[in-house]
Amino acid sequence: MTTSTIGPNAADTSSTRQAAGLRQLWRRLRSQPVTLVSTLVLLGIVAVAVLAPLLAPYAPEATDFDHPLSGPTADHPLGSDELGRDVLSQLIYAARTALLVAGGSVLVAMLIGVPLGLVLGYKGGWYDRIGSRGMDIADALPGLMIGFVVIAILGRGMLVLILAIGIIFSMNFARMVRAVTLTERKKLYVDSAHVTGLPTRDILFRQILPNMVGPLAVQGAVFLGNAIKVEAALSFLGLGLPESQPSWGGMLRVAAEHQADRPWMALPPGLAILITVLVLNLLGDGLNDALSGRRPVRKRARSAAPVPPPAPAAVADDARAAVLTVDDLVVVADRPDGSTARLLDRVSLQVRRGEVLGLLGESGSGKSMLAKSILGMLPPNVYAEEGSIRLDGQQLRGLPEREFAKLRGRKLGVVFQNPQGNLSPVHTIGQQLCEALRANNELSRKQARARAAELLELVGVDDASRRLGQYPHQFSGGMAQRVAIAIALAGEPEVLILDEATSALDVTTQSQVLDLVLDLRERFDMAIINITHDLGVAAETCDTVAVLYHGELLEVSEVNALFDDPSHPYTEALLAAHPTAETELDRLPTIADKLTVDGDWIRK
Amino acid sequence: MNDTATPLLDVRDLCVRYETSGASSWRRHLTTVLRDVTFRIGAGETYGLVGESGSGKSTTGRAILRLADIGGGAITFDGQDVATMGRRTPLAYRRDVQAVYQDPGASLNPRHHVGRAVTDALRRHGLGSAAERRARAEEVFVQVGLTADHLTRYPSEMSGGQLQRVAIARALVLNPRLIVCDEAVSALDLSTQSQIINLLMDVQEQTGVSYLFITHDLGVVRHVSHRVGVLRAGELVEQGETKALFEAPLHEYTRSLIAASPASHPQGRDERRAARQARRRAGVGAA
Amino acid sequence: MAKLVLYRLAFVLPQMLVVSVLVFSMTYLVPGSPAGAVLGPSATPEAIAQVEAQLGLDAPPLQRMGEWFTALLQGDLGTAYRSGMPVTDLISQRLPATLSMVVGGMLVALLLGVGVGVLAGTRPGTKVDRLLTGGTVLGIAIPEFWLGLLLTTVFAAHLGWFPIVGWVPPSTDFLGWLHGLVLPSITLGLTGGAIIARQTRAAMVRSLASPFIDTLAAAGVSRRTILYRYGVKNALVPVLASAGVVFAILIGVSFVAEKVFSFPGLGDLMLTSTIGQDFPVVQGVVLVTAALVVAINFVLDISYGLINPQARPA
Repeated sequence: MTTSTIGPNAADTSSTRQAAGLRQLWRRLRSQPVTLVSTLVLLGIVAVAVLAPLLAPYAPEATDFDHPLSGPTADHPLGSDELGRDVLSQLIYAARTALLVAGGSVLVAMLIGVPLGLVLGYKGGWYDRIGSRGMDIADALPGLMIGFVVIAILGRGMLVLILAIGIIFSMNFARMVRAVTLTERKKLYVDSAHVTGLPTRDILFRQILPNMVGPLAVQGAVFLGNAIKVEAALSFLGLGLPESQPSWGGMLRVAAEHQADRPWMALPPGLAILITVLVLNLLGDGLNDALSGRRPVRKRARSAAPVPPPAPAAVADDARAAVLTVDDLVVVADRPDGSTARLLDRVSLQVRRGEVLGLLGESGSGKSMLAKSILGMLPPNVYAEEGSIRLDGQQLRGLPEREFAKLRGRKLGVVFQNPQGNLSPVHTIGQQLCEALRANNELSRKQARARAAELLELVGVDDASRRLGQYPHQFSGGMAQRVAIAIALAGEPEVLILDEATSALDVTTQSQVLDLVLDLRERFDMAIINITHDLGVAAETCDTVAVLYHGELLEVSEVNALFDDPSHPYTEALLAAHPTAETELDRLPTIADKLTVDGDWIRK
Repeated sequence: MNDTATPLLDVRDLCVRYETSGASSWRRHLTTVLRDVTFRIGAGETYGLVGESGSGKSTTGRAILRLADIGGGAITFDGQDVATMGRRTPLAYRRDVQAVYQDPGASLNPRHHVGRAVTDALRRHGLGSAAERRARAEEVFVQVGLTADHLTRYPSEMSGGQLQRVAIARALVLNPRLIVCDEAVSALDLSTQSQIINLLMDVQEQTGVSYLFITHDLGVVRHVSHRVGVLRAGELVEQGETKALFEAPLHEYTRSLIAASPASHPQGRDERRAARQARRRAGVGAA
Repeated sequence: MAKLVLYRLAFVLPQMLVVSVLVFSMTYLVPGSPAGAVLGPSATPEAIAQVEAQLGLDAPPLQRMGEWFTALLQGDLGTAYRSGMPVTDLISQRLPATLSMVVGGMLVALLLGVGVGVLAGTRPGTKVDRLLTGGTVLGIAIPEFWLGLLLTTVFAAHLGWFPIVGWVPPSTDFLGWLHGLVLPSITLGLTGGAIIARQTRAAMVRSLASPFIDTLAAAGVSRRTILYRYGVKNALVPVLASAGVVFAILIGVSFVAEKVFSFPGLGDLMLTSTIGQDFPVVQGVVLVTAALVVAINFVLDISYGLINPQARPA
């Protein structure tokens, strides 16, 4: 059993769904222990701040000249400073200052930043050009320094501090709001709102702003933490609040003076800052995860069914033996709620050299999983539990990754769906082709390059040597897919799998790429598995067609037989429901017409 | 179709230009996306607009919906000049001309339940009290094959086919005269696709609404349209009655488009392939 | 390449221009007059007017701006109100200490950040990843100057491994300079590194989730090559962007950390001139800092263009 730790499915060890409402959000938050603990701690800190007069044993400015600079004693659990002021009390009251300043400055930042971002993002045009330049310029100044400047201009004090820190952070909020607005503005539901007749103002406030609450909350939490750090830094330098107002930064200032003789004095205020900022950050992160629905799926220990012994040498009663045989394959997936879903249910098929097998199915039929099982590239939490996959007699199910790596490229080749996505945007075509070539053949750099040019010409890319030095974005969709085919051919595989390889292409480009594949089949006698949802593609290219529906293989027939006389009602319905450029009907029959009330198929 | 009657929608020499910026936001290029496009749609008629990506078919729809600026030419709806309507589109136009898009999930606000899409539309146009709006929403949901229960569901809780029905309901509730369907069935499974196509055709029979059906799928367009227009790189290269266009295409591009479309049966495919190869060798058709 | 440089330069110049104008107008935002600040609250209006004339504060704004810019282009950043010394001298005396600390911190931040980020990003969800990510969360939350305080308390004051006064000019004693830089660099580097690590990890995860990773793997390319050649290169761009941000942040942090390590840098200068409302000095420091940040971002932008072909001017 192999799982991939790289590839589009690998890094996503979780399931993703947008949180539609508060209900869902709360449910998700409940399942995140770290976030819950952080929230509790934060609430505790807020409680301490609010209840300061009740909790603190002394008033923060109360001096006690009899016990200056004492260590932890019964009178002063955390010690006292040089004027005998109780450290614990100062710590508690400073929580108030910290939260007040942080809250105030984040509020100021939002008041400045949110409208600014909204306007820039929504209006676009010149407003946005100038505004973005302005934000870029603000970037050139470190935040703390802006704080210095504001204090230099306006003097010291609580309000100035709040304003200063607010200004520092306002650009961050503006930038975020602008980005969100730009994305949301392009979304279809804004257009739809326009078409319904909603005025701009409405769209901004009713449609876009609510979508921003989440990111604002996350950003707000994180910046509350930042604000506390900045306030502490400024107070540490003596620029913040006057001495009479307790602050953690101020306490650290005093502690710094006694670094040599009373080193422990730095601990309480420092830890207070650390813990507060930490829980704020964790809360922000947790909110972020809950909003985007990222939940880790717990991995369960699995024991797969025992791998069947290698088949005895097949007696070739056909003229050509099957190069790839799948027998009773079962693929399951672990769901986040603990259940397992069967993605493929006892699927059996085979492909011979020179044959094109079509795998026809709609979304959710499991066709992509079949390809991935053959390649050993199943996502985590998806397992090939039973059955066998044999390539040239070698059993693939249960093969260790190292063995699989040897097969990929050399015996198996794949072309995936997304043309531009299939190629690394920051490497040239030549680099990637040569990479594939050298991974499968012993070639020097020069030899690889020459061979790469040959391959490109083979797949129909003109001016191959020059184009080797180009980047993917300089290729059109059809051309990029040809390059992907070239990469797949680099190791001269016996079996080529096309996973919806032409679905994203225009009709004319699609027919060119498919014709190319058929040419290659003739030339190299390759076995080809063409995975598609398009009946027309199956009709034009396949020798045999296997029909998949919800993980079940409904039928496998020679292509003409399938189209003339399908044996399963689903195939019948599929064929009938397919509007083509040739037929004209009053009403399209639908799949539902073929099902009885209980969901069983109406068989002929 | 009666040619002499005033068409519902009359598009003449339509030009649309887009501003594109390169890596810098200071330099702007103007690309012409549509050039001299002319066609008309009558009442109760479906006009299919086909083209490949980049042909400008979506832009045509956007221009008619006043989501894109008209750079030249004229669009007349029921005798009224659309281009000169001013910055704010008159509400009446927003009632008469509606849209159904490709991605049903994306055209609905993920944070509202789907019933709101319909009631918001009604509220905007000042139609009825809150109770009346809700009743009308229920009515139109049933019309599109959903139930009253569906009104309070969130988009994330519904399937693609169901969401597209919601989108159609939203378009229908204002009793429009023209609906722009922009790849409205392209993202759906084949089984769902046929249901939605049937629904659209039923609605047309019941209400006499016209459709501008924008798609890249020749099979679908042949099935639903009375007349078809073929767009290539911003220009309308051919248009005509559906049957005539498909049986005897006049323009080379239309021919190659039809030839490239996958057939419905494997029969004759070797001949088709040989014909395509012959074309390619003769240097016809895009690379 | 030259095109890329010129292109980016065209951005930098207007940016610096606008910053300069903003910096200049700083003095006009002050309630009251800086002269009043210099003389104290008991100053008489005549005394203020006299000081204003002395310092040239009574001339019309455009004239002053013109004079200021001309002086600026000649490298003259003005004269401090209080001490009367040329600002350029004051700044150039203190620049080496600040630069040493910031560059040292950046080096540590990059090494640590990219290393941790790549390590975590290539094995997401594992114990190692969770440990490292936890570390970065801590690194971001910790107040830098407190960390510095703790480090000096333990390693300098008590263990004596490092000098308490960290600054030694490189010209005097090169090794001593390096030695004194260790603690400050670690202090700045840990927070900066945490930020870079988080960005790097996220970028790695995104990069490894791209479809081309599958294509290469299916073609038989080894996992190592995919991870480190293709995964990392595609993740580099956001990492570069975050490096620029971290640089700006570290300059600000160094102003505070100076106090802990007794470095005679710009921070101390900024502090005294902020308290004293000594605007020429404040303006000078802001300008120099902005220039530094802009310069670094310029270099980073060029690198970005070198890595990502789509960002190059057509």
